[in-house]
Amino acid sequence: MEAATSPSHMTEEEHRRQRFWAAARHNLTAYIFLAPILIFFVVFMALPVVWLFYLSFQHDGILAPAQFAGLDNWRRTFSDGLVVKCIGNTLYYCVLAIPTVFVLGMIVALSLQGVRRGAALLRILIYFPTLQASLIVALIWTFMIHPDFGLLALSIRALTGVKVNFLGDPHFAMPTIAMIEVWKGLGFWSILFLSGLLALPSDLYHAAELDGAGSIRRFFSLTLPLMKPTFYFGVIFATIVNLQLFDSVFVLTDGGPVNSTATIAWYIYRSLFTFSDPGFGATLSFLLVIVVLALTALQTWLMRERTP
Amino acid sequence: MSVTNTRGVNRRRFLSALAGSTAFPYLFRAESTRAAGLSGKITMIKGPHSADEAKYEAEIIDDFKKANPNADVDFTTYDWANMNAQLTAGFASGSPPDVEYLVDLVYPAYAERGLLQDMTTLVNDPSWKSEHDAIQPFAWELAKSSKGTWGVPVLGAVYNIFVNLDLLNAAGVANTWNKSYPDLMAAAKATTKGDTFGFSMRTRVSDYAFWDWFPYIHNAGADILNKDWTANGLAGAEDAMQFLIDLHKAGVTPPVGSVDWQGQFDLFKAGKIAIYHGETPEINDLLTTPPPFKWDVAYAPPGPKAQTVMGNFGILSIAAASKNKDLAWAFIKHWASGPEVGRFAGEVNLQVVRTDIVDKLYLDKPPMQKIQKDFVPRVKGVQPHPKILTMLQQIWPVAESAYLGSVTGKEAIAQMGEIINKLAA
Repeated sequence: MEAATSPSHMTEEEHRRQRFWAAARHNLTAYIFLAPILIFFVVFMALPVVWLFYLSFQHDGILAPAQFAGLDNWRRTFSDGLVVKCIGNTLYYCVLAIPTVFVLGMIVALSLQGVRRGAALLRILIYFPTLQASLIVALIWTFMIHPDFGLLALSIRALTGVKVNFLGDPHFAMPTIAMIEVWKGLGFWSILFLSGLLALPSDLYHAAELDGAGSIRRFFSLTLPLMKPTFYFGVIFATIVNLQLFDSVFVLTDGGPVNSTATIAWYIYRSLFTFSDPGFGATLSFLLVIVVLALTALQTWLMRERTP
Repeated sequence: MSVTNTRGVNRRRFLSALAGSTAFPYLFRAESTRAAGLSGKITMIKGPHSADEAKYEAEIIDDFKKANPNADVDFTTYDWANMNAQLTAGFASGSPPDVEYLVDLVYPAYAERGLLQDMTTLVNDPSWKSEHDAIQPFAWELAKSSKGTWGVPVLGAVYNIFVNLDLLNAAGVANTWNKSYPDLMAAAKATTKGDTFGFSMRTRVSDYAFWDWFPYIHNAGADILNKDWTANGLAGAEDAMQFLIDLHKAGVTPPVGSVDWQGQFDLFKAGKIAIYHGETPEINDLLTTPPPFKWDVAYAPPGPKAQTVMGNFGILSIAAASKNKDLAWAFIKHWASGPEVGRFAGEVNLQVVRTDIVDKLYLDKPPMQKIQKDFVPRVKGVQPHPKILTMLQQIWPVAESAYLGSVTGKEAIAQMGEIINKLAA
């Protein structure tokens, strides 16, 4: 006697239900292993984002009960001149820092690629600044750029006769912060690009050498195109991270002089903890998310266009 | 009434008599044993004024526990650089420390949101009158905001000027430099030579530069807000602002923003600044490691309306969410008492706002005594408005721009006034 649940006797509905539970049982192990991180994500990342979105339509909500503010915070965001300045400063910093660290990182990676003896030690030394806390890096550079005894300041004065006011001049303050961040991040990007270079197929280079291609031709015709996936990842990752610049600004300039180093992340912190305006801070946070998503989408679209 | 004869006495009267007989001796016990009835544990948070802050606080707590053996106080500190963030997190948690040491710049925002206990009734209790009256009136004004009194003023730091007497004497301006603003400019120019500057004051927002700016504004009869806090009160400060701009344009100061406050103090100690805007805790540094020149403390020259000194003061407050307000109040009274606050101030080199212990303080530190006796009475502090810190942080970029020569004094005051008006509305 055939079982009532054998496939040939099941209705469409029963068949669909059976397939569903079979798939669920099959994935159960995966779900169990993913559960802790999913719970962590929901509790500590997703829910706060939802709460942040709710706060952007409120006045207060942290130190005092929330009061519905409608679109007040959003209207303020788009009419506040300092918001525009912060976005401009942040993008300016990204334009300074990202290409610089990429070019320097690639130069260091290409140099390291050819090193056989002592390569491991060199990589550790190059990566060392990346491991330092932002506060330590800021303190080191405070001494380096001190106008009276800073090594960098004195070197520039000796070579050019010019006394540079690194952090006090609005024209130099953000480039100075970019320089410090590039110094800190160079190790990370060098190692990342080095790993990309080491993964490139060597037979292509042998073939190119046999065909008479020189080192420069091989670099532009082979290395750069083959490194595109690494660069794509790097540009998007660097953009997301650098749009959130805060540590160096907070320690070195606190947004000054004359708001020339005020960034979006800095203004979010100020809104929340100095100005006690969490609704406005939450709105700025969402604005930052929108800017990051928009730039990331633009970059992804531009880079996809150029992929053969 | 005999409690053994219950005939004709109902239960209510008997119990009343019993309660009365047991309460009778309690009513006439000594103050300390009655206070020994206070029990429980409270927490206190304060910013550190010394590397040995915990040790000095332990002395105060131990003395308190001698009189209150059933009470305990847990002391912790917040980090000054992250004071706002840590206090906000503490209050937002719903269980903040019972007692907070809050500076005049930040407590009004918490008071406005109902996070602090209004202590008006407590501090005006007739039994505490002598202690209340020992604290200077200006300090009580600093503790008042949003129609309440939010703490007991205890300590402060005066922002004084330090002068290199050797440099001033060599230039022949030691007796004239602080007679007027033109004299200050002349002295600064006379003492500026090579890599030595005649004058320095804070300019960076991260250094809270407005503390050095305030005396010149106050001396012009102006302030951040007008009398009823409805609009800015900066009218009249245009010339003072222009004077400060001219000082920076004259080349008598380090390049604007090039050296932070600590760097300026280091330059002063090295004999590279003649007139330096500092603060009183630096006096101990100079006394411990004397620089290679004679120095003294001073305040800014008189302006058209006054000759004031700026100071930054702290109060001891009770959190509205505290579950043991009685114990918190008892501890604050103890902390603010003459012997305790006097000892603490002497250990950390700060000023007290009490008048009754001034003669006993800093007998071995004449500059500190001079500050306490001569400077503190001249203090005109900050207006404790809930948005005062926001106002100061938002107007400061205008001041930076002015010091860099981008705007005149009149334009700077007008721009600052607009920012303050928007926030005060």
